Amino acid sequence: MKKLSAIIGILFLGISAHAQETKDSTIALKEVTVMAKAKKKIETEMKMAVSVDEFLASSDNISFIKRGAYAWEPQLNNMSSERSVITIDGMHIFGACTDKMDPVTSYVESNNLSSVDIKSGQEGSLHGSTIAGSIDLKRKSTPFSTESKWRGAYQTGMELNNKQYFNLGNVSYSSDKFVADGSVSFRQAGNYTDGNREEVKHSQYHKFNTSLGLAYKTRPLSSVRVDAIFDVAKDVGFPALPMDLWLSRALITSASYKQFSEKGLIRVWDTKLYFNAVEHYMDDTGRPENLVHMDMPGWSTTYGLVSRANMITGRVNSEIQLNAYSNLSIAEMRMYPQDRGQRTMFAYSWPWVTTQFASIAISNSLDVSLQSQLNFGGSLGYNYNFSRFTEFNRIFHPGAPREKSRILPALHAGYRFSAGHVDFSVGTGYGHRAPSVSEAYGYYIYNSFDRYDYIGNPDLKNEISYEINAGAGFRTGKGAIEGKVNYFYIQNYIIGRILSLGSPMNYQSVGVKEYTSLDHAKIFNVALNARYDILPHLHWKGSLTYARATDNKGGNLPFIRPVSYQSSLHLMYKKMGFQTSVNGDLTQKKYSPEYGEDQTAGYWVWNASADYTFRLKNVRTVFQAGAENLLDAYYSTYADWGNIPRMGRNIFTSLKFSI
Amino acid sequence: MKQTLFIVLCFLVASCTLDKTDYLAEISTIVTEHNEFKEVTVIRNDDYTISVSALNGTLYKGYNEIRLKVTNSRTGSDENVTAATFLPVLSTADGSRTSCPHRFELVYRPDEKYFSGYAVFPRESGDRENWELYIGFTVASQVHTVKQPVSIQQQTNKNLNMTAFTGNDNQQYIIALVSPQKPKVAENELVAGIYRSVNPTAGSYTELLQYAYTEVSGYTLQLDPRMPEPSMGNHSSPNNKDLTQQEDGLYDGAVNYTMTGNWTLNFILLNENGKIIKGTKVPTDFTPGVEGVKSELHIDILF
Repeated sequence: MKKLSAIIGILFLGISAHAQETKDSTIALKEVTVMAKAKKKIETEMKMAVSVDEFLASSDNISFIKRGAYAWEPQLNNMSSERSVITIDGMHIFGACTDKMDPVTSYVESNNLSSVDIKSGQEGSLHGSTIAGSIDLKRKSTPFSTESKWRGAYQTGMELNNKQYFNLGNVSYSSDKFVADGSVSFRQAGNYTDGNREEVKHSQYHKFNTSLGLAYKTRPLSSVRVDAIFDVAKDVGFPALPMDLWLSRALITSASYKQFSEKGLIRVWDTKLYFNAVEHYMDDTGRPENLVHMDMPGWSTTYGLVSRANMITGRVNSEIQLNAYSNLSIAEMRMYPQDRGQRTMFAYSWPWVTTQFASIAISNSLDVSLQSQLNFGGSLGYNYNFSRFTEFNRIFHPGAPREKSRILPALHAGYRFSAGHVDFSVGTGYGHRAPSVSEAYGYYIYNSFDRYDYIGNPDLKNEISYEINAGAGFRTGKGAIEGKVNYFYIQNYIIGRILSLGSPMNYQSVGVKEYTSLDHAKIFNVALNARYDILPHLHWKGSLTYARATDNKGGNLPFIRPVSYQSSLHLMYKKMGFQTSVNGDLTQKKYSPEYGEDQTAGYWVWNASADYTFRLKNVRTVFQAGAENLLDAYYSTYADWGNIPRMGRNIFTSLKFSI
Repeated sequence: MKQTLFIVLCFLVASCTLDKTDYLAEISTIVTEHNEFKEVTVIRNDDYTISVSALNGTLYKGYNEIRLKVTNSRTGSDENVTAATFLPVLSTADGSRTSCPHRFELVYRPDEKYFSGYAVFPRESGDRENWELYIGFTVASQVHTVKQPVSIQQQTNKNLNMTAFTGNDNQQYIIALVSPQKPKVAENELVAGIYRSVNPTAGSYTELLQYAYTEVSGYTLQLDPRMPEPSMGNHSSPNNKDLTQQEDGLYDGAVNYTMTGNWTLNFILLNENGKIIKGTKVPTDFTPGVEGVKSELHIDILF
């Protein structure tokens, strides 16, 4: 939470990336130092070689729905991924899988990211309309430097439980005029075993990711940059689903132009054109128990523009962002009858749905005094959907329009005060979001959690969020404690409801659900964080979260995290570091049988690791070994799809060389 | 490392993927749609040329819309025909003659300048089964008759299937699908003709044939479409509408197909008093792995 608020605070100062190119500008320099503080390495305290998912999991307000060992779906503020904006450097990307087996976070790798910027609630509306907030994955982008410099890192390691091997390499070159960043990574893992030493079948994965970024300084204060990420995942098992992934691929490209200015209204202007294409092919041939062989390919193609400007007028620092994108989502299902000579059965689960979105957003920060700051902003978005094969949607919604336009406004305001040892903040927000492609146009999308086929509704109303949040902190030289709460009142909350007239299509399903709007839902999140330096080199950290969410009838909403806690100790001794942590959830009391949930028992796991840093000539080398779930606890969390058990004891090692 | 490189290479090289389905093209290859009326046969004598047209220039088993036009053989101009009749006759090797549901007195369509009718052929032409068209027309109060053998072809489009059955009232019935020729995954307007055989006891020989069948009126055809494949577990669709009679005599309803493939239209035919003429209720539960139970009155379609 601490890091998070630091990031949020810094955002109002504006500039990200390579601001160093304007060395002669004092403003820019100041911002660089601030930004450097905010940047966190993509590693957790326990583990330096983490996947993007593991890294995100270390944030308080992110939880995950897990369908296996790979491609976890991030939940921000206990809300599903449709309710947050997930971007890569501000670029919108949409997964190509109707079953959310490929969240955006699955198409990047930890060695091509520099930080992850999480904003809660309407403060995230800068990137697009949202309810829960935004997650912006920031890519590595080395600043220009006066002298030519090569930097690089290589990391390798293995995890014993699932025989995971990974090799991550990245290299960067920087000079006065030219910068290049490149990375290659490869991970492969077999099936993991749970706490009862039983193999969880279909939990293997293979992932390859590479990225390249090239920047060229066109003039002293302007630069152009092109970036590309190519990601391939193959043979990925999803133990909680009746099928696996044969192949998913993403190509994520962008070209940007950045202009700095030492004086005047606009200090930074950054414009980026982007294109990304995602393809996702499921495979059920490894599941002989399946009655029907099915192909379920999906494609998602997006091109767009993001342009932002940082302006300083008097005491107000403003960031203006223009977003525009067009996405085409296509998903097919083809079922093969037992008699393969017979005709196959075909339907679109996403009937060629185009989504076009444009928004203009502003975020301002006004320094009221040295101690206090007022943040306010808003956005106005326009969302347009076009379904090419509307006739699919009209089966359940006769007369549904082919096209649909929506206006999506958002507003937020916040006040922060800090003096001496204390700081506090209050904020409020209001915002709309449009239904996702699945919610509006999905067609017989099988959800293996509640075992229903889901049908979209093109006429769903905008979801409208009213939000308040507050935070308070107390800090001394040796420790700090901080609490944060937020409360969302969401009108027209979209959720699946049983449709009595529907007959399931997927043979595993028990019925048909239609996305409908509840009159409202309420979601409340609390997070408490504390740290204390017991000795100069012995640090303690702890966190506690609680959430409560109800629908309009007071019933529980699904996938709400029970009380969870984490406590860790970190000891540094000479060149060695030791970490140990305990984390767990209490028993899920407020589960929702209505939405297919059963009660999940509480659990706790104990982790420990040690690392040693040394130099091999000029190469900084870190060796780490540790174990997660040391006691081999058998458990599954509230958000484990189909209650699949989590990994049992896992011993991991990694070795990192960097220059 | 070598292994890694190898696997990386495999990833890059093995970049073949599935192509997107060309859905519109795909349903066209399974189902050929005929939209154009072409000449099936032409009967020419010294005075008149009689042209009979149907979709694709072919008469198929099942429902056929018929267009008839009479022109002057010498001038080629349209004749002023005041009435036209149409009677299909099936002769079998044993010498028996029967007809089929048809419109005897054709209806003139002044806009398009042809006579319009239909015929529902319950059987294809065969070695021992020959179809003939008996056509009559009136020009200047003078009735002319002609006769022409025609060939009835197999209907390959299952969406235009028909069924003939004996009802609970011991009458012979025919239900023939008229449209859609090419269904979509959508709500489709479903049109069918429903006919009952009658056994007139008096009248001339051609009169007996001419009144062999009648369009039933005021009936209801209850509809329950399902996918019969075992893997589809008796899957059905929502918002279907039973077929009721329209002004043109045909029965109209709505069928929703949720995906392409084999479907069974399960029917229950009710007479004007709501009595079941034929058909049974089918189970509505979802039974994966079990082939769907069909109504005793049903038509299988495929698209």
